[in-house]
Amino acid sequence: MTRLVRTELLKLATMRLTYGLLAVAAALSALFSLLENNMAGRAGSGVPPISTADGLRTVTTVTGFAMLFAAVLGSIVANGEFRHSTATLTYLATPKRTRVLLAKVIASSCVGSLFGLVAGIVATGVGLAFVAGHGDHVALSAGTLVGHVAGAVVGAALVAALGAAIGSLVRSQLATVIGIFVWTIIIESLIGGLYTSTRPYLPYTAATALAGTKLGSAAFGPAHGLKSGGPLPFAAGAALIAAFAAAAALIAARTTVRRDIT
Amino acid sequence: MAVIEVDHLTKRFTGLTAVDDVTFAVEQASVVGFLGPNGAGKTTTLRMLLGLVTPTSGTARINGHRYADIDEPLRVVGAALESSPAYPGRSARNHLRIAALVAGVRPGRVDEVLDLVDLTEAANHRVGGFSLGMRQRLALATALLCEPEILILDEPANGLDPEGVYWLRTLLRDLASEGRTVLVSSHILPEVAQTVDSVVILDHGRLVTQATLAELTGGTQLLRIRTPRAADLADLINARDGAARVVADDRIEATGATSEQIGLMAAEHGIPIFETTTGHADLEDIFLGLTAGDEQTR
Repeated sequence: MTRLVRTELLKLATMRLTYGLLAVAAALSALFSLLENNMAGRAGSGVPPISTADGLRTVTTVTGFAMLFAAVLGSIVANGEFRHSTATLTYLATPKRTRVLLAKVIASSCVGSLFGLVAGIVATGVGLAFVAGHGDHVALSAGTLVGHVAGAVVGAALVAALGAAIGSLVRSQLATVIGIFVWTIIIESLIGGLYTSTRPYLPYTAATALAGTKLGSAAFGPAHGLKSGGPLPFAAGAALIAAFAAAAALIAARTTVRRDIT
Repeated sequence: MAVIEVDHLTKRFTGLTAVDDVTFAVEQASVVGFLGPNGAGKTTTLRMLLGLVTPTSGTARINGHRYADIDEPLRVVGAALESSPAYPGRSARNHLRIAALVAGVRPGRVDEVLDLVDLTEAANHRVGGFSLGMRQRLALATALLCEPEILILDEPANGLDPEGVYWLRTLLRDLASEGRTVLVSSHILPEVAQTVDSVVILDHGRLVTQATLAELTGGTQLLRIRTPRAADLADLINARDGAARVVADDRIEATGATSEQIGLMAAEHGIPIFETTTGHADLEDIFLGLTAGDEQTR
């Protein structure tokens, strides 16, 4: 199994797409933490000043984009093989296809965690730089900041695994990538806005909550800024996303993964 | 000993029987041509043999096992399937490094096979920019990476220039002389005729014949007949279980009938014959005869 995971990691390392998505994730994290920083403390923005714990947290936990891109990368790890028909060689080398699926889920979460780490460091760096620029006191403890970055690592790893499982279930790369964006940006936001009590259980929202993002902060539509309710405990949130990934992987293993490679 | 055994193999896709009750075997250390026109079911058969496509019924085994049950399959079977794809953004070397890693072969082997297929200079170029011939060479390099005992090659000559085809023949002969078993598919018989020991011929998903080259050519006598009424004589021969085709205004080539039978037939119908020569049919004629004959009876 180690050899299979290493093979999947080597595949990722020899694809320019991996580096491109990581760069985009880092750039969007930087851009949006700058925007949040810009809004912080302004009247009517709803974001408290970054001299406060709440305000600083809004800036340093902008890691949702990295998770979105980690999920996209995970899906491509799985169904990119069909776009370019490389699945033939993959399954010739490892005809036990469930093992390939498992290796892809594990490799995706490894690389996904890197997305979370980079985004966490970028967003925290932006926040701290502006705090230092203003000469303010850092309102969050080092432990809390590190905890948020660690949460981003775990969250991105889990959604990348979920992405790989979904990518194994749906062979169309385009459909999966569009689906992931539509789900995170529109559907979760709609469901979360209409039924606020469901918010802690929505996978993308739950993943961002692991990284310390307040419920609603990472949302794009009606759910954005909605303050009611709190996230699941860390372990429960992580277990929830892992369960989604496991369910998708299990269904994939019993359906799509078995299909003919023609 | 048969290393590849295909037994009553059938594959039905929606509305199409791609492979219909095909049975054949490939003996150890032989080179077998797997022939048939495009769409005959060759690729589907090979993909079932390699565990990529699930048969509707029947079995395909390698060394007595289903492909999926072989430990370290790349070390046992090297396969280059039609237009064997590699990720276009990857270099040829990285493509092979990945295969080497998953198969657990030493990394030094990558450069050896690159050299073997003459891709050393292009090794660090992206596969997306490769010509069809270069892709075929890369697919062969991938198949040869683990020095497998059995090679399954699907249309390896596609996209190769004449020099490349010559190179491929030499390579296949070398592999055979090392005692490896090779199953090589083609829709053009002369490509492989000089290399193979025997052939398996498919047409419309069905097995037409499995025979050695000697059996194929030895049993069939080709008659070349010069007559001013070529078309009429050809029709007569075809109507009596022979196979004749008009090759020129005054010439036909016929198989499946003796010169005596044809002479009598011609005399009965008052068709003059100026000249009759006998010879062995070449493989292409036999191939076309076997596959086109099926066309007529459908």
